Amino acid sequence: MTLDRSAVDGRLAGDVGTADRVRVRYAKTGRLRFVSAIDLSRVWERALRKAGLPIAYSEGFTPHPKVSFPDALPLGYASTGEYAELGFAEPITIGPAMRALNDAFAGGCEVLDARGVLPGERRLSKWLGRALWCLSYPPEADRAALTAAAEAVLAADRWPVPRERKGEVTEVDLRAPLVDLAVSDEDAPRVAALLDASEPPLRPTEVHAGLAAALSTTTAPHTDHSAAAGSTLPKPRLISRTAQGAPADGGLREALSGEHLAVTAAFDATREELRLDRRDPTGA
Amino acid sequence: MSTTERPTRSVWPQLEPLLSQVQRPARYVGGEDNAVVTDHADADSAWLLLYPDTYEVGQPNQGVQILYEVLNERESTVAERAFTPWHDLDALLRAHGVPLFSLEQHLPARAFDVLAFSVATELGATNLLSCLDLAGVPLRADQRDDDDPVVLIGGHVAFNPEPLAPFADVVAPGDGEEFVLEVDRVITRWRRAREAGQPWPRAELLAALARVEGAYVPGLYVPRYGPEPATGGMAPLRETAPIRNGLPTAIPKRTVSDLDDWPYPKHTLVPLTETVHERYSVEIFRGCTRGCRFCQAGMITRPVRERSKETITEMVEHGLATTGFEEVGLLSLSSSDHSEIQELATDLVKRYEGTATSLSLPSTRVDAFNVELADELAREGRRTGLTFAPEGGTDRMRAVINKMVAEEDLLRTAETAFAGGWRQLKLYFMIGLPTETDEDVLGVADLGRKVVEIGRRYGKKNRVTLSVGGFVPKPHTPFQWAAQDPPEELRRKVGLLKQRVAGERNLKLSYADPEPGVVEGLLARGDRRVAEVIQRAYELGARFDGWSECFSLERWQQAIDEVGLDRDWYVTRERGRDEVLPWDHIDAGLDPHWLWEDWQDAQRGRALEDCRWMPCYDCGVCIGLDLEHQTGHLPDGRA
Repeated sequence: MTLDRSAVDGRLAGDVGTADRVRVRYAKTGRLRFVSAIDLSRVWERALRKAGLPIAYSEGFTPHPKVSFPDALPLGYASTGEYAELGFAEPITIGPAMRALNDAFAGGCEVLDARGVLPGERRLSKWLGRALWCLSYPPEADRAALTAAAEAVLAADRWPVPRERKGEVTEVDLRAPLVDLAVSDEDAPRVAALLDASEPPLRPTEVHAGLAAALSTTTAPHTDHSAAAGSTLPKPRLISRTAQGAPADGGLREALSGEHLAVTAAFDATREELRLDRRDPTGA
Repeated sequence: MSTTERPTRSVWPQLEPLLSQVQRPARYVGGEDNAVVTDHADADSAWLLLYPDTYEVGQPNQGVQILYEVLNERESTVAERAFTPWHDLDALLRAHGVPLFSLEQHLPARAFDVLAFSVATELGATNLLSCLDLAGVPLRADQRDDDDPVVLIGGHVAFNPEPLAPFADVVAPGDGEEFVLEVDRVITRWRRAREAGQPWPRAELLAALARVEGAYVPGLYVPRYGPEPATGGMAPLRETAPIRNGLPTAIPKRTVSDLDDWPYPKHTLVPLTETVHERYSVEIFRGCTRGCRFCQAGMITRPVRERSKETITEMVEHGLATTGFEEVGLLSLSSSDHSEIQELATDLVKRYEGTATSLSLPSTRVDAFNVELADELAREGRRTGLTFAPEGGTDRMRAVINKMVAEEDLLRTAETAFAGGWRQLKLYFMIGLPTETDEDVLGVADLGRKVVEIGRRYGKKNRVTLSVGGFVPKPHTPFQWAAQDPPEELRRKVGLLKQRVAGERNLKLSYADPEPGVVEGLLARGDRRVAEVIQRAYELGARFDGWSECFSLERWQQAIDEVGLDRDWYVTRERGRDEVLPWDHIDAGLDPHWLWEDWQDAQRGRALEDCRWMPCYDCGVCIGLDLEHQTGHLPDGRA
């Protein structure tokens, strides 16, 4: 699944029918990465109003537009795998409505796929048990070493990484929620990671920490396991969530399309997104 | 550093890694709906519009939004925005050598020809210095080089620019719409000359700017002081005079005569992160003739210029369609005074019924008409709180400040509100007003008790909040000569109020810390010597002085002591009729004799009618500007 604009328009132009409850998959990229989940919901509400779509409002003294987001993307991450459910006051024709909505977004937010909710269908959040992430490293990252590190992590039964919460450092096992890892064959390597939902969720920065630790042990077996972590593996330039779905056969079944995605699907999805993110308006 | 090249590289690659280390990074990313991004290569002039506070506070500012559009509509002009970075990013920018940047394209501030600051409050002064410093522009105008950007200061502080004078190349009192376009022509010529390899000397640039009507170039004026008095205190100001012939001795404020010719904002920016006001705002009129003697905004924005109902309706329709905002603000200094307000409100409510669009009408008078208006606006929503500003606690005090509302009217208004289903009233007051006695202060509490008693008759849970702030005398008002209460005295008065409302159920007293008022007063009525204090306070770390968690009077006092100024002479001293005031050379259109007479009337407790419907009392504005109040109201009751 790529983020080609004509493919998006094609998908939305397809026979997606009419509905008053619509599930969407959308992208949050570029500078919008720094907008919090609460602020993002306001961005959605205004775009829906600006597009003139008949969004439904809750009853009561302070009516709220019926837009729900099953989970929040942490600040700073990009995504082409975000999901929302929209409630309308009357049935809308999905294709044109979503295109109008995309025109109303200022940039960084874009509906990629949409379909009506079927009667009795499982809640959207039930479909988001597994997520596909992509960590894009700068060219200084050693691809071969990174590949060896990923293999080392996958081969282990447990892979503890430090987690800092409120000033206290604890340990979590990276291996438990980690379904699969892959390293791309590029000068600036990318790491794809399939992670199962867990409570509290494992963050992709913890995947990076685990790889950094693995890399320091595989390349220099005598160094301390944690002290050198990160010193040889530069931080990823960008971390993106590329899709979410239900666990299926070592991959995931994408929440909206039902398409089966393996870990390497992350590499297709982020190429365009990365290009957008690096674009500099001054041309510098 | 004398280069004719402006930096053209975005700082985004350096900034982006820092954003994960700061609070609310969305403040710094730009990319909002209706932001204008123009290639600088195609431009003849580039403006950076700055509001010296955080994004959340500054972005909703109406003045910045208007000038942003007016400038960007000119094809060859670029205007972008910047705000003061919060402490966390400030430190990171300095540590990493990243300059202050624009939000649109993240260009360094020095990529712009003009740094135009809108300074609405005196307490923004240190943030202005912080912006200049982070921009890499010398703080003081006399240290700027031929091709440093022009530093322009507008907003209300421009009506006494002296404390900021050494930092400004140009100061612009009054309406900015026409002014910025005239300045832009000069800037374009300056830039062409620079790009042609024949840069103007700085002095030539400033002289050209000084020829724009309403431009005050502080470097071309010098304050002269008399001898220091033997009795202590500061040497008195003798005059602020031009350094050479051909410059105006007084700089007139700029006034836009017809608001229908300037229907801005048209495309309000839609913030990506929450700001203090989230709405499409339209000024329904500019200026005010209520004549409240403490109110600088009312005095310096005269005469009244109403925008027509038709223009307002169109602006609202277009404004909502281009933003998706869910709230409309009908702005002015006394919104219910618009001659067509009733029809306007009714029309708008009808038009947006069922669309979850709400209307707000800030700054309303205390009377029953306003409760009706509020009822109308809240037709669909809930009736939670209404806010009124009686400002003074007794009829006598209100006559002194010319806030003309009698206690019985006020109580009747409260009754109408509670009877109509409103549950909370918030009442704004000032203490420390001229001629104020303890009885006047206690009048605030007594009035609150009477209102809460009325409220109780309509519902056990009905509540009243008394919000009390300390009065700070402002230039170009009849109270410009008045003494300001020291913070200890204000604290004593708050103590009296606390005692009087203690144990009163459903009556809440909220009061502002009186200490920032000292600095506000010093900067409001200070002269050019005060600039040294601002700079020293900045060097000592003063930033965001309008934020209670950041303000420190000790720090400012240290700066005052080090510079060697007499704080009380500036802040708590009453001025005499013949004293030369630091803002005498800024002409707001008000006749100084009228101001003085009004000050005398105030002290005798004599109120003054609104000249919109009563005969003219010769404040001087209309004659001086060759304008009249433009309103549907007719004077002399000839409606």
